[in-house]
Amino acid sequence: MTITANKRHREAKEPHWIEWATGMVSALVVVAMIAWVGYKAWTDADMEPEFTITITERRPVEGGYRVAFDIVNKATVTAAAVAVRGEIVDGDNMVEDADVTFDYVPAQSQSSGAILFSQDPGAREVRVRAVGYTDP
Amino acid sequence: MNGARAERGNDVGESRDFLIGLGRGAAGAMLFGIPMLMTMELWQLGFYIERWRLFLLLIVNIPLLILLAHRIGFERTSTAAEACRDAIIAYGLGVLISAAILIMLGDIKPHMPLSEMLGKVAIQSVPASIGALLGRSQLGGQAGKDEDDGDGEKDQDEGGDAVPDEISTSYSRELFLMAVGALFLNLNVAPTEEIILIAYKMTPWHALVMIGVSIAIMHGFVYAVAFKGTHEIPKETPWWHAFFRFTLPGYLVAMLISFYVLWTFGRLDDTAPTQMLMSAIVLAFPGAIGAAAARLIL
Repeated sequence: MTITANKRHREAKEPHWIEWATGMVSALVVVAMIAWVGYKAWTDADMEPEFTITITERRPVEGGYRVAFDIVNKATVTAAAVAVRGEIVDGDNMVEDADVTFDYVPAQSQSSGAILFSQDPGAREVRVRAVGYTDP
Repeated sequence: MNGARAERGNDVGESRDFLIGLGRGAAGAMLFGIPMLMTMELWQLGFYIERWRLFLLLIVNIPLLILLAHRIGFERTSTAAEACRDAIIAYGLGVLISAAILIMLGDIKPHMPLSEMLGKVAIQSVPASIGALLGRSQLGGQAGKDEDDGDGEKDQDEGGDAVPDEISTSYSRELFLMAVGALFLNLNVAPTEEIILIAYKMTPWHALVMIGVSIAIMHGFVYAVAFKGTHEIPKETPWWHAFFRFTLPGYLVAMLISFYVLWTFGRLDDTAPTQMLMSAIVLAFPGAIGAAAARLIL
């Protein structure tokens, strides 16, 4: 409890037990947080961003064809300006490509986006892959 | 608001005082709201923030304003009804000022969809309404007060000061004030992209240092550096008593507020727990400063 008299704050001498209980719980949580971050600092090896892309949806939209995907960064470092390119491939010939850029793909996290093609790939193969990134 | 005038029962004087109070509230809303009103990310959040998160923020703001008004109001509030009235006035001022300034800045135009206009005003009204309440307490009745303090704790009677001369701050209220301070500074910086960018740039080692510095600043602000309003610890009490009872819970409050604000702005979506924690640690740094400042100022 704090007493404010004449604009001066003074802490009470005999605090309520609940103040100590709150203090202890807070101390535990803060220590746990520090331990968690410390553990991460100790164990995290220097890694390069590592992307896995899975196509989640393919459907025609007005004026084109939409291929939605999830991009997962498994590494413990974040990648910025991640460029993802989608290609429609017919045998050895590339029929169409389209790019999309993610501002960030955070470490061990997932982002989602979509590529819009102008034509329906039909039975042709659709490739989606990350082509580059920068360190944030 | 002004005891001497109110006692006269003069209606003209009362309504004039009320208008002055409104003016101070509007000034406070602008003073505290301008940094956010001129932040691009907050305009954008106005239309892409998930509506139920915005709804929750707007609802949470109501009890927050009422509790804050109960402590520092447009008038010296004694009853819950008065606190509610002041809170509503502050919220209304926040909405009006936000809307007026956004229109002036050309950020709201007639051809925009209604939901975009409402979203932009709604998200800005939260910090602006807190500012309106603070404006009343921090801008009001300051004239001549410093001299009074210099005169060796002379009784100030009721001269326009929103804070009574002797109040006992309950522990929960102390934590609440820290939450308000943290929330206010968080709303200032959380919408910007820099917060997550900093979290991405930092290694866990940086985060560890940041936790330590945040806690040290919090304790130092309130107990060590001799600001006006600094809290005194009784001489026979060891320093770590206040550290455990106030500073650590205060930091925890700042962390929780950080998580809440980040979540509201959609910064935690699809993110790994460690990254969430890192962002919250970054945001809790200004939050901790805000929380400590709130204990001194309010």
